[in-house]
Amino acid sequence: MNDLQLLRGMRSDVGSAPQATLARGRKKLLSRIDAGTVGSGFGGAPEAVPDGGPRRKRVMARRVLLASAAAAVLVGGIVVADVVAPGGRPGATAEAAEVLNNAAANAIKTSDPTVKPGQYLKVDTKAVYGATVSRANGTVVSWLETQDGQVYVPADMSSEWVWNREARVPTTFFGKESKAEAERYVASLNGGAGPRLEGIIRGKGGAFYGSPQQILGSPLLDAIKTLPREPRKLLDLIYERTKGSGPTPESEALITIADSLRTGVIPADLRAAMYKAAALIPGVVVADKQATLDGRKGVALGVYWADGKLRQDIIIDPATGLMIGERTMHLAAMDGIPANTATGWTSVKTSVVDSAP
Amino acid sequence: MNTDRDIIRRSRDRPAEFAALYDRHASVIYRYAARRAGDFVADDVTSETFLVAFECLDSFDERREDARPWLFGIATNLLRRHHRAEARLLKAAARAAPREAAVDSTDGIAAQVDAAAAMAKLAKSLKAMPAIDRDTLLLYAWADLSYEGIADAMCVPVGTVRSRLNRARRILRTGLGPETLDETENEHERLAAAPRNA
Repeated sequence: MNDLQLLRGMRSDVGSAPQATLARGRKKLLSRIDAGTVGSGFGGAPEAVPDGGPRRKRVMARRVLLASAAAAVLVGGIVVADVVAPGGRPGATAEAAEVLNNAAANAIKTSDPTVKPGQYLKVDTKAVYGATVSRANGTVVSWLETQDGQVYVPADMSSEWVWNREARVPTTFFGKESKAEAERYVASLNGGAGPRLEGIIRGKGGAFYGSPQQILGSPLLDAIKTLPREPRKLLDLIYERTKGSGPTPESEALITIADSLRTGVIPADLRAAMYKAAALIPGVVVADKQATLDGRKGVALGVYWADGKLRQDIIIDPATGLMIGERTMHLAAMDGIPANTATGWTSVKTSVVDSAP
Repeated sequence: MNTDRDIIRRSRDRPAEFAALYDRHASVIYRYAARRAGDFVADDVTSETFLVAFECLDSFDERREDARPWLFGIATNLLRRHHRAEARLLKAAARAAPREAAVDSTDGIAAQVDAAAAMAKLAKSLKAMPAIDRDTLLLYAWADLSYEGIADAMCVPVGTVRSRLNRARRILRTGLGPETLDETENEHERLAAAPRNA
């Protein structure tokens, strides 16, 4: 036995954490999350903050942070108050199911672009994130930030991918104060020692940070080959892998599908299966027949949560079966953001190019 | 969508997602805190670790995939508040050394007695070493972090981790005495199978 082995031996007399303790801690965390995200919107939503304690504490904590660093900016302050599962419908509405199933059929008919050896599939994404900061005087202001990026996927997907990440910049403001806070935040970042999230990075097989990208808990390159193409099986797998996360199982399932599709590399047959799986998710509706995202028009299919105050959409071009993008809609005013604002969205465009940077 | 980093990124836009990080790591944080300062403290430190992490999402280094070093770093800071509880536990463990040789000296019981004596010596050494060395050593031996993970958790260069670990282990070995150790110098042992996130 060496000293480290003996020392590790000392651990063995500590049992695992009692479930009740873990559950209590989780509840505490969730009430903090809820309290924080209810924020100043929704007229204070008193029922969501039963004792008023966590929220007050959080404001205090943030105040302290504000004094010390820009760490107080929580990028994306979103309201998840009373989570109400959508009614017990067997699947998406008939209208939504029709759009999704047609899109699936067209996805298969419209063949994927052919990437010849030496060429790249270029996946252009524009991503918008909400940023919310609470200030020393207790008021909360928000703005939206945009970050563009291009991923170059080689014909042989196991060889080197190239990702160009552009600067993340505040782009949409909700009033004068929102703009001033955003500028202050950006200035504080430029002087800080935060991680650099801009510039070109490379990774074999898309593993930009050392390990493979994942969709649905599996490495991307395996997943696009092996995920079930049978919609019910695929949806069951999505439910199984996302169990316990997200505001509701239904919204989490649609978000998972949106996350997978926005990689831009999902082949047509799997894309079709994902649309058909989405058609089986209870509560999925046609949210907007004429949705525009980043200048492109499509049909938005969405699922509501947080008592109808939030909605996750995927936006599809029904004619080609391509996903135009995804977005999170805030349907009620909150944190200085007006009602019916997309507080986060990604648009995805793919094309074939002859070279990568 | 399944790395810690992905969960953290997603929770920026959808804070409720952050609960997934709790589900993934709360039990290891709890065990670590409980081993160091007892169940009562562990209860508090575990929930507080995740509340602090949630408040300071931006302090997570996005170049990292694994959130454990970040979480253990927060937990280690919080545990400093409870150094008295930790000292009490170590003191009690150091006293637990058997005072007399076992009457029945079958091999099994002798081994148990040896192990108990070794634990007592370890506790004494842990109590005697500088807090910063103890943190480093226990992040390595009890939290199963790599040198790099500890460097992240404690915001110091890897070289500093190495020298703190060497120092801490020298204290341990001196405390244990040559009769307990049946191996030659082994300063650069790495964990055979440190648990990693899938």
